[in-house]
Amino acid sequence: MALQKYTFRIQRSIPVQGGGVQTKWQDFPVESEPNVTVLTLLEEIKGQQDGTLVFRQSCRSAICGSCAMWISGRTRLACKTHVGAVAKNGVVEIAPQKNQPVLKDLAIDIRPFFKRVHGITPYLLDGPEQNSTVTKSAYDQVNHVTQCILCGACYSDCTMAEVSPAFVGPAALAKAFRFVSDPREGRKSQRLADLCQPSAIWSCTRCTMCVDVCPKEVAPMEAIVKLRTRAMARGYTGSAGAKHALAFHEDIRRGGHLNEFTLMMRTLGIWETLKETGTALHLAKKGKVPSPFPHTVAGVEELRRMYDHLEQFPIEVETKAKEAVPE
Amino acid sequence: MKSHDLLIVGAGLSGMRAALEGAKAGIDVAVVSKVHPLRSHSCAAQGGINAAIDARDKWEVHAYDTVKGSDFIGDEDAIDLMCQEAPGIIHEMDRMGTPFSRTERGDIAQRPFGGASFDRTCYAADRTGQVLLHTLWEQLVKAGVHVYEECHVFRLVTSADGHVAGLIVYDIKTGQLFPLRSKGVLLATGGYGRVFLSSTNATTSTGDGMACAYRAGAPLGDMEFVQFHPTGLRTSGILVTEGCRGEGGYLINASGERFMGRYAPQKWELASRDVVSRAEQTEIIEGRGTNGAIFLDLRHLGRERILERLPQVRQLAIDLEGVDPIFEPIPVRPTVHYSMGGIRTDKFGASPLPGLFASGEAACTSVHGANRLGGNSLLDTIVFGKVTGGHASQYVRKEGLRDFPPQAMQEEQARIADLKGRAGQGVRPFDLRNRMAEDMNTYCGVYREPVGMAKMAETLPGLRQDYDKIHLDDKSEPFNTDLLRAVELRNLMDLAECIVKGALAREESRGAHYRIDQPERDDVNWRKHTLAHWDASSETARLSYEPVRTVGNPEYTPKTRTY
Repeated sequence: MALQKYTFRIQRSIPVQGGGVQTKWQDFPVESEPNVTVLTLLEEIKGQQDGTLVFRQSCRSAICGSCAMWISGRTRLACKTHVGAVAKNGVVEIAPQKNQPVLKDLAIDIRPFFKRVHGITPYLLDGPEQNSTVTKSAYDQVNHVTQCILCGACYSDCTMAEVSPAFVGPAALAKAFRFVSDPREGRKSQRLADLCQPSAIWSCTRCTMCVDVCPKEVAPMEAIVKLRTRAMARGYTGSAGAKHALAFHEDIRRGGHLNEFTLMMRTLGIWETLKETGTALHLAKKGKVPSPFPHTVAGVEELRRMYDHLEQFPIEVETKAKEAVPE
Repeated sequence: MKSHDLLIVGAGLSGMRAALEGAKAGIDVAVVSKVHPLRSHSCAAQGGINAAIDARDKWEVHAYDTVKGSDFIGDEDAIDLMCQEAPGIIHEMDRMGTPFSRTERGDIAQRPFGGASFDRTCYAADRTGQVLLHTLWEQLVKAGVHVYEECHVFRLVTSADGHVAGLIVYDIKTGQLFPLRSKGVLLATGGYGRVFLSSTNATTSTGDGMACAYRAGAPLGDMEFVQFHPTGLRTSGILVTEGCRGEGGYLINASGERFMGRYAPQKWELASRDVVSRAEQTEIIEGRGTNGAIFLDLRHLGRERILERLPQVRQLAIDLEGVDPIFEPIPVRPTVHYSMGGIRTDKFGASPLPGLFASGEAACTSVHGANRLGGNSLLDTIVFGKVTGGHASQYVRKEGLRDFPPQAMQEEQARIADLKGRAGQGVRPFDLRNRMAEDMNTYCGVYREPVGMAKMAETLPGLRQDYDKIHLDDKSEPFNTDLLRAVELRNLMDLAECIVKGALAREESRGAHYRIDQPERDDVNWRKHTLAHWDASSETARLSYEPVRTVGNPEYTPKTRTY
């Protein structure tokens, strides 16, 4: 393949006195074949053009998780991203991971991310729920989450983390799922109860961004959805998220329609709902208040039979990651 | 000045396992690592970890395979210890939560590996190192061991009476240099693959611990034995696990011939790594390769087996070589992979320097001798992490803190100031490292000959002079990776000299060290370990030798090694 000209447009950050960083964009010209990795070219830039350029890297083979950075619109591992796949009109834009403090150039402060991982008690616990035997299928179940290398790409592109810094985030929750699903774990119920606290499993909006950006096909959102199912199956239905899900469930089963008039009350309770009186009046003024008596849809009988069937034969939720194609 | 009972450098498998042992012993143990523990290169190990856990297997057989694999220069006491401890280590890792691949019955699955007479390699698909690393990290968090993360060790400090006194550490995040005192130091810093241009190793595998120990007066053992892995990707050198051949993969040349039968008529692709790498190199030299590579063919294994057992390797081949192994053979070539040599220790990981311990790839214990068997390095890291961690913990209980010479800090500060202070356009560290590494590949490769090795030995002093002219762009403090690369390069250069001198002196062929002019093993004169000592006045290596530690087992008597 022939050499092509590319411009690496890199967001540079320098720490300033008193905290924070000063940021500018800088262009570096490189010549390369399109199938060379972004990391290789960053190394060339550092080695031959500007030794002050800072980025983390180590294994070069997508297993150590050091080089996750924002490249042309999303967070990727620089070591497995081909320059030709991410250049737009010959320009590759590179910035540090988002949702996290920047130390210098492309190096972020990884401590807040790991603090979240520490927060889910990231090790097996002894306890009454420990199984003495393990089966092959038990391992197949956690296989996708144990592929996680904690590179932080999912957290960087998480739409919930962007608006709610308290959110535990996809990677830590995927790790939590790994313990909840392990036959050797002794405190599964306690973990599920803890995960129903605010800013954990019920805060995910299921936007699938984490599934899309994960370089290791971990599908964190799938793990989050499974954690919700398991928490509810064990009776942890007290959280707003669980109540919201149950309200949907009841309405659809009853009449095939959502009763939006009572939905908020059933999710948040009377007291929290009363606080939203202003919003309700505003909606009423615009004629947007839903009817408290929704009609029953045609064919609801069939819907109920589907519910009965699913209750008898539950299926595991599976969110397929995009087909792995070379980037 | 901060102090701890025991400082462990490196947070890969061996360092973390040693730290757990320290925590269990109740001593004040801390870990220093230049990367976050989960970024350690142990994660890149793919294929598996050996242990005689099957009722039909025996640790004695595992030990014999290892002695034979080492080409009869491994230390037999350490090999016996490792193979005896192996099953216990696997079950312990399992209890800690390692997601090993399982058989239909739920037992830990095992696959065949090179040089082994039983299918004893336990695995987790093709990411065994990663799952072991994550599991030990979980345990380290549980144990609450303090880790100095992203802190680079610049120097191992000794007291005036020749004991370990502590470390001088550079905090990468802030650019600050600080001393740490301790009664003992355990180096678990991995290998030095970056001495060579083409390597399966991470860019952070720069042999820092070995170089620090060496300059502090601990000898390095058997540095001339450098393992070439038979299947590194042609372009990047990235590892493609031996597990591919364990699962039934073939090696074929440009005309599609499965050539290993001509070199190892019994074991074919599963001969030991030195044998397979030489066979491949011969095929390439004699014109039966393509663009300097031969091919690893997995197509006959079928899509399902590849996706279940070797998913990561498949993705790497797609991402880095543009080849999907389900449909096409993967271009591979022998690539620098592992350093059998390292800080010379006894079977408990103690070096001759009082208070200094080493384990894992950084050490030469020596369980691998002249050639390591696949699946034995993960085992080595964890077994000797445990053994050495326990031994060092006992040692520091009996010792006090030693005097920490104040000039050590000043000298290291001066070194940084010197590197940063040079004006103008000098030599770029990137270029200098490439020049050295390229020559090392050429002259100290799979096949070695005396003229080339001598040439390399003559080139090194010139490169060292160029090092004194290197110029850094980055003069700042936080995250100055420009400075770090320069410090690492100095370490690589000192280690390169030990490799070349050891290789030039060893006038025989054994394991990974193969000389065209001396193709036979010479047990009468050369069944001994090379020791490289730092000569502080000339800043060069001086060699001496010591005998192999034997246990008197008649099975271990050297014989012709065939596969």
